[in-house]
Amino acid sequence: MKLTWKIWLFLVVFALALISIFGIPPTFLQKGVIISSVESNSSAFDAGLRQGQTIIAIDGKSINNLDDFSKSLEGKYLSGEKVKTSIITTQSEFIIYSEKSPEITVSEIPKTRIKTGLDLSGGSRALVRAQDVKLSSAETNDLAGVIENRLNVYGLTDVKVTPVSDLSGDNYIKIEIAGATPRDLGKLISEQGKFEAKIGNESVFLGGKDQGVASVARSGQQAGIESCQQQSQGSYFCNFRFSVYLSEAAAKRQADVTRTLEVNRTPQGNYLSKKLDFYLDDKFLEGKSLLISEDLKGRVTTQISIEGSGSGATQQDAYKTAEQEMKDLQTILITGSLPYKLEISKLDTISPTLGDDFTNSILIAGVVALFCVACVIFIKYRKFKSSLAILCIGTSEIIITLGIAAFLDINLDLPAIAGVLAAIGTGVNDQIVILDEARRNVTSSMRERIKNAFQIIMGAYLTLVVAMIPLYFAGAGLLKGFALTTVIGLTLGVLITRPAFSDIVKMIEE
Amino acid sequence: MTRVRPPAGAFFQMKTETKEKFSKLHDKYYKLALIIPAIILILCLVYMINFYSSNGDFIYKDISLKGGTSATLYGKIDISDLESKLSGSLEELRTRQIYDLVTREQKAVVIETTTPGDEVKQVLEDYLGYKLDNQNSSFEFSESSFTQGFYKQLLWANLIAFILMSIVVFILFRSFVPSFTVISCVLIDILMTLVAVNMLGVRISTAGIIAFLMLIGYSVDTDILLTTRLMKHEGDLNRKIYGAFKTGITMTLTSLLAIIAAMIIVSSFSEILKQIFLIITIGLIFDILNTWLTNVSILKWYLEAKK
Repeated sequence: MKLTWKIWLFLVVFALALISIFGIPPTFLQKGVIISSVESNSSAFDAGLRQGQTIIAIDGKSINNLDDFSKSLEGKYLSGEKVKTSIITTQSEFIIYSEKSPEITVSEIPKTRIKTGLDLSGGSRALVRAQDVKLSSAETNDLAGVIENRLNVYGLTDVKVTPVSDLSGDNYIKIEIAGATPRDLGKLISEQGKFEAKIGNESVFLGGKDQGVASVARSGQQAGIESCQQQSQGSYFCNFRFSVYLSEAAAKRQADVTRTLEVNRTPQGNYLSKKLDFYLDDKFLEGKSLLISEDLKGRVTTQISIEGSGSGATQQDAYKTAEQEMKDLQTILITGSLPYKLEISKLDTISPTLGDDFTNSILIAGVVALFCVACVIFIKYRKFKSSLAILCIGTSEIIITLGIAAFLDINLDLPAIAGVLAAIGTGVNDQIVILDEARRNVTSSMRERIKNAFQIIMGAYLTLVVAMIPLYFAGAGLLKGFALTTVIGLTLGVLITRPAFSDIVKMIEE
Repeated sequence: MTRVRPPAGAFFQMKTETKEKFSKLHDKYYKLALIIPAIILILCLVYMINFYSSNGDFIYKDISLKGGTSATLYGKIDISDLESKLSGSLEELRTRQIYDLVTREQKAVVIETTTPGDEVKQVLEDYLGYKLDNQNSSFEFSESSFTQGFYKQLLWANLIAFILMSIVVFILFRSFVPSFTVISCVLIDILMTLVAVNMLGVRISTAGIIAFLMLIGYSVDTDILLTTRLMKHEGDLNRKIYGAFKTGITMTLTSLLAIIAAMIIVSSFSEILKQIFLIITIGLIFDILNTWLTNVSILKWYLEAKK
């Protein structure tokens, strides 16, 4: 039996697809855990740990899975004193001295390199657009940059911010965040975040590096939760405080404004008659105003501290809310305000909880569907070899499509999976056409008959591909995955698997 | 001992006698047979005109096309209690369950409402008595003006897809009647499926619109097969029709069986895939009628007249 070049081509592509899906060496053989995020400004980040690295050992003990990881750090930081932790990744060793466990999240090494979409792996996706104004694509790009910066400053590293547009020419910004989502993602991305400090009606400084803020303390002595207390009704509240360093110009502005203020003498101390008030998106922040002590009158001072609080049903809740509030304010103060008011068009936060069950049920559905195909084919043709060939080609088409998707970094969401199925279904149909043409009792040669089959197949192929084109551009790219996988599946079918199949059929029939 | 094996393909094979009988019958009545699809088509058109005038749209839309929130809460939650307590505060509240295919154990409940996401979260947290986060819940919110635009674009995408498909078909066959037959078959498949889906009261999601697009592909397959076989080969017309039918019906039945099986498995889990499979299933069933009754008759009429 001699294999034709078409069959060889098919086998090579198939092998490449397997490599693309599983990698070399295969990822399911790799040991360790992969870092899915590192908090910026943390000791882990400073030591050099980054997202995507693979941890294989901690303190000399090898790490094979998530269990090993959490066990290796268990009980290590109870004393509250700085301890040394050695983390070995596939590249090198990192040493961290810290009083708390490394600020990283890890996950199991994925078994394949196929990327599943939000609806299967969990995460968040948002589409935002500017309110009341139509932005040009350059403006949209700028805005995307500001939003990305804000998310990064906030501590989210695995973020994709892309400007997208749709058929009616509207520009959106698509934000995709893998894994855990901050509780108020909507607020974080859509809040314009115009922070303003005023004394009376005089503006002293705005949030943002070039608007008067030189830097913002985020950890250490100058920032943190100060105290937690129980309120009368049983709920708790925690106070936070962090320092903000003003630019020279802003500090001077503050001095100029305070120079003319009167001094109020109270039993608690002597303060100026007006306070330093804070506004967020033109809304007065109640209870956050700062009293200005008498000795600051007319003096240039670059450091001020901002306080606030968060409450919750338990002390832990209150602590978390306070931390969150502090982080929100710090982020806004560092990144400054967004140039436009934004509105959220779509916001999906999907839990990864049922993702595996989902994927499994899809796999089972795929196997059962293939089995049904095999049954019908076998009943119809009563030919074991031909039926087996259809089944094998169908399965390999799934694998090759997934391989190409993995290679091109396409996120497979549910619509994209439906696309794969659509392509495979069409593929099976095409093979039935080939098989039937090849077996027809007409006088023409086998070559001629296969050619006839290909006329039908190419016709069906072309109609389907053109039908997918508009979907690629419509609806802010939400259905791109579907259009792409369908076209990929169909194209590889027509170019690679169908020719191979027809050669196989020729071999079987002749 | 030898076992008697039926000849290959016996399942779809008919005796020569029956074949000839059927052939004569077909010759006599194929024009008359067109009345059946014509009546169905007219009924469908009347239904759709009626539907459009009372609903202002072609379909019932779910929140992914209408705007609103879909929340999935993991764990065992009493769905009837939730519904009765919250229907006052959440607009157009609808609920359904996600359960394990084998054990039938409830895994999550899905809540759909036209109320915006933040409010829904608050209401649900008050009802459940715990905070909802990324571990115990999923939220999908679409703002209504965005989804309206989105829906319009999907309709446009389907329309453009249809036009592009038509152009390709015309280029393929370069002959008006056959091309027109293929195109109208696809259109009628879509129309009939639309009617069936509306009658079942299915609320179409984004995925449903995609399914109609997939339907274009699936129904055009057999039509192209039939038209190519009839137009491009020499030989007895009825034999060609029968040959094409054997191949085409195998294709459709294979697809149908595979899709129905997959639908049963995913239906407890994914509303999206279930809807896609449901629409394709209905479409394929209508496609059998439209291809092998309507199209065959029209093409036969056309080719006989050309002789």
